[in-house]
Amino acid sequence: MIAYYTKTLYSIIKNDVLVLPSRMLVFFFIVAIICLPVVSNDPYLLRIIILACIYAIFTASWDLLSGFTGQMSFGHAFFFGVSAYAAALLNRHLHFPPWASIPIGALASVVAGLIIGIPCLRLRGTYLALTTLSFPIILLGIVHAFPDITGGELGISGLDRICRSRIGTYYIVAVSMLLSIATMWKLTSSKFGILLHAIREDEIALRASGINTTRYKIMAFCLSAFFAGIAGGLYAHFMRITGPSTLEVALSFQVVIWGVFGGIATIWGSAGAVFILFPIMEFFRFWPEFRMLIFSFIIIFILLYMPKGLLPWLRDQVEKECPRCKKKNISFRKTCRICTATLG
Amino acid sequence: MKKMRLFTRVCLSVCLILFTAINTWAAKEIKIGVIGPMNFTQGQGQWNGALMAADEINANGGIQAGNKKMKIKLIKADSNEFISITDAASAMERVIAYDKADFIVGGFRTEAVLAMQDIASDYKKIFLGCGAASKILCDRVEKDYDTYKYWFRVTPQNNIYLVKTNFAFLHMVATTIRKELGIAKPKVAIVGEKQVWVERIIGAAKANLPKMGMEVVGAWRPSQTATDMVAELAAIQKSGAHIIFTLLTASSGITFAKQAGELKIPAVMVGINIEASKETFWETTKGNGNYVMTISSHARNVEYNELTKPYLNRYIKRFGEIPTYTAGTYNAVKILKQSIENAGTLDSDKVIPEIERYDEIGPGGRISFNKSHDVKWGPGFITSLGVQWQDGKLLGVWPNQWRASKEAPPLTYKGIAPFKLPPWMIEKYKK
Repeated sequence: MIAYYTKTLYSIIKNDVLVLPSRMLVFFFIVAIICLPVVSNDPYLLRIIILACIYAIFTASWDLLSGFTGQMSFGHAFFFGVSAYAAALLNRHLHFPPWASIPIGALASVVAGLIIGIPCLRLRGTYLALTTLSFPIILLGIVHAFPDITGGELGISGLDRICRSRIGTYYIVAVSMLLSIATMWKLTSSKFGILLHAIREDEIALRASGINTTRYKIMAFCLSAFFAGIAGGLYAHFMRITGPSTLEVALSFQVVIWGVFGGIATIWGSAGAVFILFPIMEFFRFWPEFRMLIFSFIIIFILLYMPKGLLPWLRDQVEKECPRCKKKNISFRKTCRICTATLG
Repeated sequence: MKKMRLFTRVCLSVCLILFTAINTWAAKEIKIGVIGPMNFTQGQGQWNGALMAADEINANGGIQAGNKKMKIKLIKADSNEFISITDAASAMERVIAYDKADFIVGGFRTEAVLAMQDIASDYKKIFLGCGAASKILCDRVEKDYDTYKYWFRVTPQNNIYLVKTNFAFLHMVATTIRKELGIAKPKVAIVGEKQVWVERIIGAAKANLPKMGMEVVGAWRPSQTATDMVAELAAIQKSGAHIIFTLLTASSGITFAKQAGELKIPAVMVGINIEASKETFWETTKGNGNYVMTISSHARNVEYNELTKPYLNRYIKRFGEIPTYTAGTYNAVKILKQSIENAGTLDSDKVIPEIERYDEIGPGGRISFNKSHDVKWGPGFITSLGVQWQDGKLLGVWPNQWRASKEAPPLTYKGIAPFKLPPWMIEKYKK
């Protein structure tokens, strides 16, 4: 039995993973994420990767809504903040442990997704973006209006840790990230994902085909809110504080920057961008005066020369598509690995 | 072959000696992390204060920790806390785990400091706060001493004391108005920026000022970055206010003072106007900020004690400006020196009781901590100053015969100048 599964796994890795650079990269990335604490248990390094994992879930959730469905959200911090506050309130006042407060927080975020999704159904483009932008600001007002419950500008502090040890926390967050990204990626490559794509490209045509686009748009809002909520809950318990900063406009824009940098409508691209940009910002701590300037230059450079995003651009450099079967091949191959057609 | 072996041995021995020497040399340093928003005035003040204290201590041979004389090495940690709390917490973990700081001083924004406090407690590192005023930080020490005993607030006074200080300013100004203009019940207009911290002060002012013989005529809430406040000023003038109680921490403080001066509003501005405590304020307002009074930690003319003048002279000579309250890191580093020497070790758990027992005079007054590790406030301890712009000079005007209670003796610091009402106000109201 074990020999059979080992053989199957080996065959999958050999024939499906190691044939394309992008798949190899994802494979080695997963191996690196799993093995990192074995190589180094430096708490600072683990902290950076934990935060990158949390923000990767958050950015991918934005990509699911804005990249795939075209429902441009400029207020994605709303979902993050709702869940962070819900988890914090449950933990602080009702003593819910993190394993319960995080999923319930994510469900609270789904409800928030419905609240936003329904009134926003009629809006598109700039109007939708501006409307979504207003929601975290409204919630911020509510937070400040009820300081006895929400902690006002100081937030809710002293939350329980996700896990007592840093390595334990690391594995919980890393596995949550891998599962969330894999689920979102699988969703977008399914029939459901094709429908989301179609909504973005031509909603009227889709409605003319008898598809209830409203339902799918609301589902996109809810799913995106759920994953952003998972990120928000993990963040609150990792930082052990939830405050107005989780609803700030800057966070909403940050996620857009990460998403566009990595390549929208990819899921893996936007998540990957966080693992590039977040550690880079930490690396430039030795040069604090120019940290933001360097960050801005990198973003502008990528947007100017790689408008599809960094990771899709890199993929296009090392892989090419077969004109016949549309499968990807490594760029130096002369013939397609599937249908043997000549590659241009 | 033998020569080769000998050469290898010599090389290894030299390496070993060098390695031991480097380690010994490194062990003779005490690393103090200075964490704050380094790209802003507040962080700059924190760094300057700590730098000055470290240089003074190192020039005198360093800190005697047991039988070792150790020099101070400062580590600058930019928390970026105005923009990102995540950044602030990461900076804290970096300075402890990566840079191996033994002690930390600084922190500014309360939400960020709460996160930093947790990290410092996890690593059992003493964190001397020099920026955040919220009482909640010290309440944590009282509620959970074992976890949060590593935190002490050196500066500023907490938000409760801040309100008390401002009410003392208002009392002094109202007394002057009664005496000089014969107005029995001065009217107060409150101008507070649209921020949450202002809400509670406005509530407290509305409840307490009538009891202090003043009448609150209204509260105006401009934006923190307002560039035109003529409408508010016109309304305040119409309300007949004699005192404008300001609660402004950002650039709106300049706009407000400048326009009030241009319009010659017959009222005196008192309270918090952070911009007015900077020496560039006179230039920025083109002299229109004359007679504005605000809270500050130092003024060139005031000496809390015999240490103040030499400290101010050294600070101004080195950094070209008067120290802001975040430069209280100077005191924090001195507190650490004294406490480490008394404890004879760098072990946090042994240094904490020494800081708790600390009771020394610093350039800003007597420093001692209460049960919740908050710096003691009041006559004989830290009080801060009320400073007023008078014809281009920023002069300390409070405390001047201030009594903290009816039984307390009056307090006046050396060099305190008398508070002055604007001449155009006297002209309008003098009978």
